[in-house]
Order: sequence, then C-alpha cells, then structure tokens
Amino acid sequence: MTPVPVNQTPAAPGAVSAPGTAPPPHRAPVPSAPPPAPGAARSAPAPAGTAGAPPRPGPSRLRSVPGRVLAVTGGTVIALTLLFGALSSSFQTVGDGLDVIGHDAGPQVVATADLYFALSDMDTQVATVLLIGDEHGLGKGRQRALDVYERRRSDAGRAVLQASALAGGDPAERRTVQAVLDGLGRYERLAARAMLLDEQAGHAAGPPPGPVLGLYRQATDLMRLELLPMAYNLTLESGTVVRRAHEEQSSALRTGQVLVAGAGVLALGGLAGLQVFLARRFRRVFNPALLVATAIAGTYTLTGFTVLGNEAGVLDTAKRDGFDSVLTLARARAVGNSMHGDQSRYLLDPERADTYEQTYLDKSQSVLYAPSGNLTAYYKAVDAGVEAYPAEDVFLGLIGQEAARARLPGSEAAVSEVLRRYREFQRGDRLMRAASPRAAVEELVGPVETRFGAYDAALVELAGLHRTAFDRAVRSGEEQVAELWFLLPVAMVSTAVLIVAGVWPRLSEYR
Amino acid sequence: MRSPGLLARTALTALHTGAGRARTAQTRTGRTMTGRTGTGRARAALAAASALALLAAGACGSGRPFASILDQATLVVGVKPDQPGLGMKVGEGRYEGFDVDVATEVARRIGVPRVRFVTVLSSNRQDFLQSGKVGMVVATYSITPVNRSKVTFAGPYYVAHQDTLIRAEDKAEIDNVRDLKGRRLCQAAGSNSWRRVREERQIAVELVPAATYGECLAKLRDGTVDAVSTDDLILAGFSARAGSALSIVNAPFTDERLGIGLRKGDLDGCEAVNRALTAMYQDGTAEKLLKKWFGGSGLALTFTVPQFEGCA
Repeated sequence: MTPVPVNQTPAAPGAVSAPGTAPPPHRAPVPSAPPPAPGAARSAPAPAGTAGAPPRPGPSRLRSVPGRVLAVTGGTVIALTLLFGALSSSFQTVGDGLDVIGHDAGPQVVATADLYFALSDMDTQVATVLLIGDEHGLGKGRQRALDVYERRRSDAGRAVLQASALAGGDPAERRTVQAVLDGLGRYERLAARAMLLDEQAGHAAGPPPGPVLGLYRQATDLMRLELLPMAYNLTLESGTVVRRAHEEQSSALRTGQVLVAGAGVLALGGLAGLQVFLARRFRRVFNPALLVATAIAGTYTLTGFTVLGNEAGVLDTAKRDGFDSVLTLARARAVGNSMHGDQSRYLLDPERADTYEQTYLDKSQSVLYAPSGNLTAYYKAVDAGVEAYPAEDVFLGLIGQEAARARLPGSEAAVSEVLRRYREFQRGDRLMRAASPRAAVEELVGPVETRFGAYDAALVELAGLHRTAFDRAVRSGEEQVAELWFLLPVAMVSTAVLIVAGVWPRLSEYR
Repeated sequence: MRSPGLLARTALTALHTGAGRARTAQTRTGRTMTGRTGTGRARAALAAASALALLAAGACGSGRPFASILDQATLVVGVKPDQPGLGMKVGEGRYEGFDVDVATEVARRIGVPRVRFVTVLSSNRQDFLQSGKVGMVVATYSITPVNRSKVTFAGPYYVAHQDTLIRAEDKAEIDNVRDLKGRRLCQAAGSNSWRRVREERQIAVELVPAATYGECLAKLRDGTVDAVSTDDLILAGFSARAGSALSIVNAPFTDERLGIGLRKGDLDGCEAVNRALTAMYQDGTAEKLLKKWFGGSGLALTFTVPQFEGCA
C-alpha cells in the first residue's frame, strides 16, 4: 500500500512544471484512494475542501498528505492553465478582430470606394466632354474635363490593383476584380472612340449627333450596368466581412471574459487553499513563493477581465463610430457621384432623359430620403428638412442615417455642413432642369459642378472625422492587447516556477 | 507555452459553435468534463464550470434575435401566381417562371434543404414576411425607400425597366409614356408602377383599379383600360401569351430594382443570398435563366450582377 503514493510523488513535480501535462496528478490519487481511508481520499481531488478539513492523525496520514498537496496543486495548475489559456485565446481573438477591421476590410472599403468614385467620375467626364461639343471654353472647359478623365483613369487603375491585393484568397472577390479590370479596358476603348467621333462631328453644346450618342450609350451602359455594380458590391462585401467577424468576436470576448473570471476564481481558491493547508500541516505561516504566485494570478484575473471588457468596447467603437460610418459615407459618395453623372446624361441623351431623371431621383432618395413622389416635391422636402436640422431630424437614407447617429465631437456640425451643401446642390439641379437646353448645359458645367464639388468635399471631411476615430480606436485596442500579450508568457513561466518552488520543498520532506 | 492556449482555445471554440444552440453546447462541454473526473466534490466544481459554460453559451446565443432563413429546414418562398414568365401557378403548390427558378437556385446555394412555394400578391407580401408566413419573397418586388423601411432586401436579382403594354391597334398613336396623357391606365393593387407615370412623370392619366396584373390584362383586352405600365419582364410574359393582340411600346423609362424580400433584420440571410446571387451571375446561371424565360421577347437583357442595395 505505502509504495503507491511514494512512487507517484516524483512524477508529480515534473507534471507541475509542465502545465500542458497537468491532468495526470489530478487523476492519479483517485485509484489509490478508495480502500484504506475513504474520508481523506474523497477530499483529495477537491481543492476547496482542503482548507476546512481538520487534520486527523492516523496511520494513513503520511501517505495521504503528499497526495493531497499534489491534488490541490494539480487542480490549481489546471485552473491557472485555463486562465492563461482563456486570456491568450481572447487576446488572439481581439487581435484578429482588429486585424480584420483595421487592416483588411477597412482599407478594402476605402480602396473599393475609391475605385467606384474613379470609374463613375470617368463616365461623368466623358459625358461632359461630349456635352460641351466644340464650345471648348464652356464652364471649366473641355480640356479640364479631359484632364480629370485621365486622372480618374489612373486612379481607377491604382484602386483596382489595391482592391486585388486586398481581396486576398476570396475567389468570388478575385473574379469580380478581374472582371472590373477587363471591363475597364473595353470602356476606355468605347469612350475614346466616342470622344474622337464627337470631335470630328463638331457640334454646338448640347446633345451630340446620333452615332456619337450610340457609342456613348454602349460605354455608359457598360460602366453603369456592369462595372459600377461590381465595384459597389465589393464595398458592401467588406461590410459583410466586418459584421460577421464583429459578431463572432464579440461573443468570443464575452465567453472569454466569463472563462477568465471563472478560472481566475478557481485558481485563486486553489492557491489560497494550498497556502492554508501547507501552513497548518507544516507549521509555517507564509509560503512566500505561493503568495507571489497568488498575487500574479490575481493581477492577471483582474486586469484580464477588465481589459477584455475594454476591448469589447474598443471593437464596438471601431465598428460603430468608425467602420460603419466610413462605409455608409463611402456608399453615399459613390451613389452621389453617379447621381451627378445622371445630370450630364439627362442633358446628353434626350431619348433616355426620363430614365435618367428617374434614376437621379432614386439615387437622391437613397442618399437623403425625404417622402416625395417626384423631383419638385423632393426639392421642397429637402429644403424644409435641412432648415429644421438638427432640431428635427426627418431624413432617412445614407446621409440621413449618419445625421441620426452623429455622435463624435464635431460630427453634428459636419453633418449640418453636408446637408446645407446638399441643399445648394439640389437647388442648382432645379435651376438646371428648368432652364432652356442651351442654358442647362451652362448651368451644369458651371454652378452645378461647383456645388457638387463643395458637397462632395464636405462629405469627405465628415468621413475623415470617422476615419480618425476608427484609426484611433484600432490603435488603442492594439496597444492595450500588446502590453498584456507581451507579459503573459512571463507570468505563465513565473507562476509555474513559483508553484514548484513553493510546493517542492514540502514534498521532499516526505522522501 | 503553446499547448495550454490551444487547449483553452479548443474549449472556447466548442462554446462558440454552440452559439444559438445553447443547450447543445452545454451538454457537450459538460460531457467532456465529466468524462475526465473522479468523484464527490470534484463533480460539484465541474457542475459549476459547466454552469459557467452555459452562461457563456447563453450570452453567445443572444446574438440572433430570431431565426434566419439560413436556419430553416423548409424555406417557404412567396411568388406571384399570375405573372407568366416570372411566377405562374401551374398546379397545387407548383409554380414556374424566372422568379421561381431564381428562388430555387438561391435556396440551393445558401444550403436550405427544402423549398415550398406559396402565392403572394403585391398587396399582402409585406404582411406575409412580417408575420413569418413566408421566409423569402421573390415576386417582382421593387426596392424602394418606403419598402426598405419594412423589409430587408437582398439583391436586386435583376434591374428591370418600366415600359407600357397597349392594344396593337393603338400602336400608331402611342410612342412613349407621355402619349398616355388623358388615357386610362390600369392600377394594380399594391404595385407602385402607376406612380411612376402619374406622380413622377406627372402625366395626367385616368387610373382604373384592378386586383392583379392578370386582371389588368383582361381589362386591356376588353377595352376597359388603354394601357398597362409596369416592369418590362412582366409585360414580356403577358405579351408572349396574348400573341399579336397586344404590343409593348418599347420605350423604357425607369430602372426597377427587383429585390428578394426577407424579414426585416435577417442580415445573415440577406448576406448569404447576395453571395449566392453574385455566384449565379459569375458562373453564368443567371444568364441561362434570363435567356430561358425572356430570350424570345426581344428585351435587352443584362447578364452581369446588379448593384446590390446593401443589407439593412
């Protein structure tokens, strides 16, 4: 009978120093327990029970003491392993979450939104060039439109490359990027032919001759029906990726927090029990090594729990105030640009004017929704609604959504500015549609374009505000994790060493 | 140093997979742990641990307020019963058309095991979604700001264009929608198409109400109305049936984004449907289906993925 626990004793410290193999000491006393001393054996595996168990003298005492010490130690080590495991896995989760939002989907939203903007503006500039005809000095001039077209073309090329790099391994996204690239080449050929033919035709400002229009229709259909939707869907897909990751990580963090708290309490209980047991049994008041180990475990439980709570907050802020707003505003900017393009196309293609007017209204409504059945009613509703903001927030739609949740310092003022400039832009649109065909072209390339530029700039500024909040949240989240992450291995090793140092000398008294 | 993290991580993963199925997660964790233990108070400690796990799993489960279409064993899809080419009832519980094919294909791709089709009308499809009678509506449902506030839209799965159907003998007089001034236009219940003519274009038409587009068509034939104006896909189906008696004006004047309606808030389902639609366009399935149903109509079809609305 006696040799059994003695044989087990040397194996145990080895197990203690290597937390990965922790279970054996915990399980080991169980088979030896039943026959001789049922009372002592039963209390052995339960760490909490040891503190209260009165030391009962008897022949089995020497045999059961090391067994009990080992059992409590084993239980404590398992709890500590769980604590540090939960901490490290939760930190990993946070790191992954910040990675997805901050370095993967975040930049992907920006890259694909840039792509949409560049593509959409290319088509708008081509329409402007065709609309100006041979009155080269009209508005900001034909040459400027051509220059902008060239610039957007190279922007688009760059954005495609970036989007392709960020698409990574997702096959559907890669196919989409490839399709955009192919389409862009076709678009450029059609646009170049349309502009060349237009120059040869030499018409006054206004709708170009039929053959030019035919080519432009092919080009704009390719752009609006094929390329822009793909670019837009890529932006949306980033939103999907972030939403899913965020949901998973939030619940992982909640679980992690509960596990850290639970494991922490068990570990601290075990360490305290061990301390008390050793003090009574071996008549020493303190076991300094175990005290330090307790302090470390306590600190990590507490800070780990708090930091995980903070990190959940950080992830929320990064997503809600940062990413969601950046995504919404990127979409607003994309739709807005294509809405501005519909103004040029409305003047350029009389046969499709009805459709372009309707899509203009549709897009206006999705940027800033105000109940109204037609454009005239819409102008009025926008006027009234902007007047009433921020006291009354009546809008839906992408910008309406942002107006309703203006939370960052300065964002309400920025939203007001966007709304005011949007109203100016819509007023310009009304003047343009009311004007005679010739005057309408002048309105478009003059005041309307200027007002659109001002509105777009205000939108970019508002997005910048959220982008900063987003970057800040991601950075602070990463820093907090990095600090604890850095110290975690040190804490694990030192606790293990301290426990061995605290328990080993006591056990060796039994050799 | 690596193994303890890995151990706990596996435990965590076990808990996460249980999100939404708290009970399973708890039993699984409980069983694993009990398998390892001895007797007595240790068991109590482990009961506490699994209570902890239950708590955690419960917290995970709260992420999804109600069942998504992704969780349903049988997906009930609402389609139109009376639109040839799109959704047409051909027998008890049997429907055919482009909408039906799209729904079947989407359901297969999002991994729904079984699909059942039921009839919805423009007037009741929103209620059916809200009350959960149907999980998904594919019934020429236009995405509009007003509809969007009540329904979550995946897609659009296609962008149609509004056009006008008239009797063949009026062909000489009606070239585009503006020539409808002073004429009688059919107003199908629950559909917004007439607004595009009378409110947006502000064309003075006389509206004649009807329950469905099928009824509109009957009225057009017997002369009670002069024109039916709605999505070209719907008109293509009708005119194909009517033969030479009716004619499409062929002057489209709007973009109609036809969405897949889901219960408000089913974002998981919406995103999955959008991915399925993207794949359908990328692998040519959408083109095949469009050609199958509208290839002969002479409509200019688009075979690339439409610009999605974004799930909200």
